[in-house]
Amino acid sequence: MTPFLRKFRVLFSTQFALMTEYRAEIVIWMLSGTLSLVMMLVWMGQAAAAPGGQIRGFSASDFASYFLATWFVGQLLVVWVAWELDFEVRQGTLSPKLLRPLDPMWGHYTGHLAERIVRFPLMLALGGLFAWLAGARFSPDWRVYAAVLVLVILGFTVRFLWEYSLGLLAFWTESSTSFQEVVWLVYAALGGLFAPLAFYPQWVQDIAVWTPFPYMLGLPANLIAGKATLEQAGQGMLVLLGWLAVFALLRLWVWRVGLRKYGAVGA
Amino acid sequence: MTRYLRLIRIFTGATISAQLEYRANFLGAILASLGEVGVALLGIAVLFGQPGTVSVGGYSFYQALLVVGFFMLTEGFISVFVQPNMSKISEAVRTGSMDFTLLKPIDAQFNVSTRNLNVLRVTDILIGLGLIFYAASFLTVTLGGVLAAAVMYLSALVIVYCIWLALSTTAFWFVKTQNMSELFNGVFGAGRFPVTAFPVPVRAFLTFVVPIAFITTVPAQALTGGLSPVLALASPLVAAVLFVGSRLFWKKAVGSYTSASS
Repeated sequence: MTPFLRKFRVLFSTQFALMTEYRAEIVIWMLSGTLSLVMMLVWMGQAAAAPGGQIRGFSASDFASYFLATWFVGQLLVVWVAWELDFEVRQGTLSPKLLRPLDPMWGHYTGHLAERIVRFPLMLALGGLFAWLAGARFSPDWRVYAAVLVLVILGFTVRFLWEYSLGLLAFWTESSTSFQEVVWLVYAALGGLFAPLAFYPQWVQDIAVWTPFPYMLGLPANLIAGKATLEQAGQGMLVLLGWLAVFALLRLWVWRVGLRKYGAVGA
Repeated sequence: MTRYLRLIRIFTGATISAQLEYRANFLGAILASLGEVGVALLGIAVLFGQPGTVSVGGYSFYQALLVVGFFMLTEGFISVFVQPNMSKISEAVRTGSMDFTLLKPIDAQFNVSTRNLNVLRVTDILIGLGLIFYAASFLTVTLGGVLAAAVMYLSALVIVYCIWLALSTTAFWFVKTQNMSELFNGVFGAGRFPVTAFPVPVRAFLTFVVPIAFITTVPAQALTGGLSPVLALASPLVAAVLFVGSRLFWKKAVGSYTSASS
C-alpha cells in the first residue's frame, strides 16, 4: 500500500467515525433540501391540470420520476466545504493542518465521502417512500445505475473542487460563502433543479451544454427516469472529466496563491 | 410600554453600529439576497415559460409574482429581525449567559426577541416590496384589498415569529437547535408558490400543520380581492393562538431552566 493510500484510509476511517456521530443532523440536512420536492409537486399539479395530462411529453408520473431522481442525485452532490474553509481560515484552525505532510483538501474530501455512506441508507428509505407516494417509475436497466454512479462521482468531485476554490477566497474576503450561494443558484438552474433542461428557452440550453452543471445533476436524473440514453451518459462523463481537470488546476492555483497571503498576515 | 419602545430604540442603535463595523459583509448580504430572489423567480419563470401555460394553481403570472414578493419580504423579515435573535437563544442556554437575560427587570421574551438585528439583509425586504409593487401595478388593487392584505400580512409575521420562537425555545431542553431553522427553511421554501399549486394533501399540510399558506398565499389573495371570509378570519386567529401558545411554551421552558453550571 502506498503511503498516500494509507493516509487516505486513516483519514477515511476517522471521518467515518465522526460522521456517524452526526447521523441525526444528517437526517435534518437531508430533509431541509426540499427544493426538488417542492418543484416536483408544483410540476405534477401543472401536468395534471394541462390538457392531455402532459407538458412537453412529461406526465405527472414522469415529473415525479425526474424530480425524485434530482433529489436523490442532489443529495449525493451536497458539498459544504466552503463553510469549513471559511471558518478555518478566519479562526486560524487551518494552521496546524498545514504542518501535516498531506494537503488538507484530502481530509475534507474523505469527510464528504464518509458522510455519503452514512446518508445513503437514509436516502434509499426516504426516496423509496416518496417514490411510492408520488407514483414515480425508475429505469429497470442496471447499466443505467452504473453510469449514474460514475457521473455522480465525477460530478461530486467537480463540485467539490469549485466549492473548495470558492471557499479559499476566504483568504481575501469575508463574504466567500455568499459567492458560493450565487454559484449554487447557477448550478441549480442549469443543472435542472427547477425543471428538466429541455423546458428552458433554447438559448439557455445552448449555454448550459458548455457548463458542467447539466451533466452532474440533470443527466443522471434523466437516466434514472428513463429519459436519457447511455450514449449521452458517455458524453457527459467526458465533459465532466474535462471540467475536473480545469477545476483541479484552479483549486491548486488558488491554494498556492492564497497560502502565501495567509502567511503574509502572520496568522 | 414607553419603556419597551425606548429599549427597542437603544437595542437597534447598538446592533446597527456593531454591524456597520463589518462593511465588507455588505457585499455578501447582497449576493445572498440575489441568490434568494433568483431561486424564487426562476422557479416561477420556467413554469410560466411553457407554451400554453397561463396559470399555476389558478394564479396568473403577476399574481404568482405577488406571492414571490411576499415570500421575499418574509425572508427579509426573518433574516433581519427573527433569525439573529433566535439563533442566540441556544448559545445563551449552552454558555449560561441566559442567566443574565432572565435577571434583567424586563420581560425575557421581549429581550431575546429584540436585542439583535441583521440590518445588512434589508435588501431582501426592499426586493420583496419592489416585487409586490411591480406585480400589483399589473393587477386591479382596491383600497380595501390593501388594508385586508396588511392585516393578513401582520398576522403572517406573528405566525412566522411564533414558529421560530417555539422551535428556538426547544433549546432549553435540547441545547442544539441551529438545525431547527434549517428544517423550517426547508418547509418554508414551499411558500414561493401559491398554495393552490400543490396537490390537495400537501395543501392541507401547508395550511393546517405548518401554516405556510397564511404567510405568503393569503396576503396575496387579500391584495387582489380573492380572499374568502373564512380565511380572512382564520389568519389572525391562527396568529393569536400561536402567539399565546408560544408564549406559554416559552414560560414553561424558562421555568425549567437550571443554568449551565448547576
